[in-house]
Amino acid sequence: MIFGEWKPVEEIVESLADSTEVLLVGCATCVAECAAGGEKEVETLAPLLSMALKKKGSSVEIKTAMLEKQCEYEFVEMLAEQVEKADTLLSLACGIGVQVLAERFPDKRVLPGVNTSALTVREEAGVWASRCAACGDCVLGETHGFCPVARCSKSLMNGPCGGTSKDGKCEVGEEMDCVWNQIVERAEARGELDSLVKIRKTKDWSNTRHGGPKKVVRKELRQ
Amino acid sequence: MNEMTESQNGETRIVVLYCQHSVGNDVDITSCAKSVAGVRVRPAMMPCSSKVQVSHLLSILDKEADGVEVIVCPEGCCELLIGSKRAVKRIEYARGLLDDIGVGPARLGISHGAGLPADEFVKRVAARAEAVMNLEENGENR
Repeated sequence: MIFGEWKPVEEIVESLADSTEVLLVGCATCVAECAAGGEKEVETLAPLLSMALKKKGSSVEIKTAMLEKQCEYEFVEMLAEQVEKADTLLSLACGIGVQVLAERFPDKRVLPGVNTSALTVREEAGVWASRCAACGDCVLGETHGFCPVARCSKSLMNGPCGGTSKDGKCEVGEEMDCVWNQIVERAEARGELDSLVKIRKTKDWSNTRHGGPKKVVRKELRQ
Repeated sequence: MNEMTESQNGETRIVVLYCQHSVGNDVDITSCAKSVAGVRVRPAMMPCSSKVQVSHLLSILDKEADGVEVIVCPEGCCELLIGSKRAVKRIEYARGLLDDIGVGPARLGISHGAGLPADEFVKRVAARAEAVMNLEENGENR
């Protein structure tokens, strides 16, 4: 899922200083899963901001709304009536949702309430970890199911580097597993250690941000 | 019970959320609520303190009350096993958020109890009200 976290509350409060009516908009998909922008978080942040702004002498009114998906035009359309009165939309969606709101309501001030930072898996309650970096040229078939782009601190395509500790941890942080150590262990367990010494073709980075903004058109799906 | 209205005559408004098992069955909560001088109290019983949500606590503080006291069962005594443990975590988190915005975390308190008698219930409410009044005397205005 796309992972996001609240921006520091102080930063959000400052960004609302000139607003008069704010519509705080949540999203029920990824950001709800990572407890940053679902219904609970919207209903938690609204009174918190209200108290913080009152304390600063502001009379901003904060209203709330939830969308099933903030990254789809059809769902965002449902906000049209509520948006009319607001001068600011504060989105708790990922960066995609924020931009879809801004595209649909260009005359409104649209602010992000969340920092979108990774593509993660929820390992257990309250713990999320990176699994994908959307690099555009997946190598998981060659790395035994571990992504070195997202999970190696240096995104090395060959490892382990010299910074791996004896217990398989990364030199960047003791709590971090060295993903190349994990790749080697899994390859060994499968009896496929030789697969790691093969010369692989150079990774193609042009299918991600490095190739410019992405836009995909699939003719067979277009009307 | 309805939400409390604006504070009158400078009285402190306290909402008490309590687990049904934390206060004795024979305690007359309405009388207790009226017995703390200078404090308006709205008690609300919960089936279990695991029902406490951070959003509820903040919403109460924003719209209705100057302070909230949550009374939960002692750890290990919760009928739903970890309800009171969850409540403690949520209240700690909510207190951290209040601290972030410069609103005294002491406005939100938690205490443990099992079958508390009336006088003990009143003491908890009075203690929370006193904590709130101390904050305001020290210049923490909302």
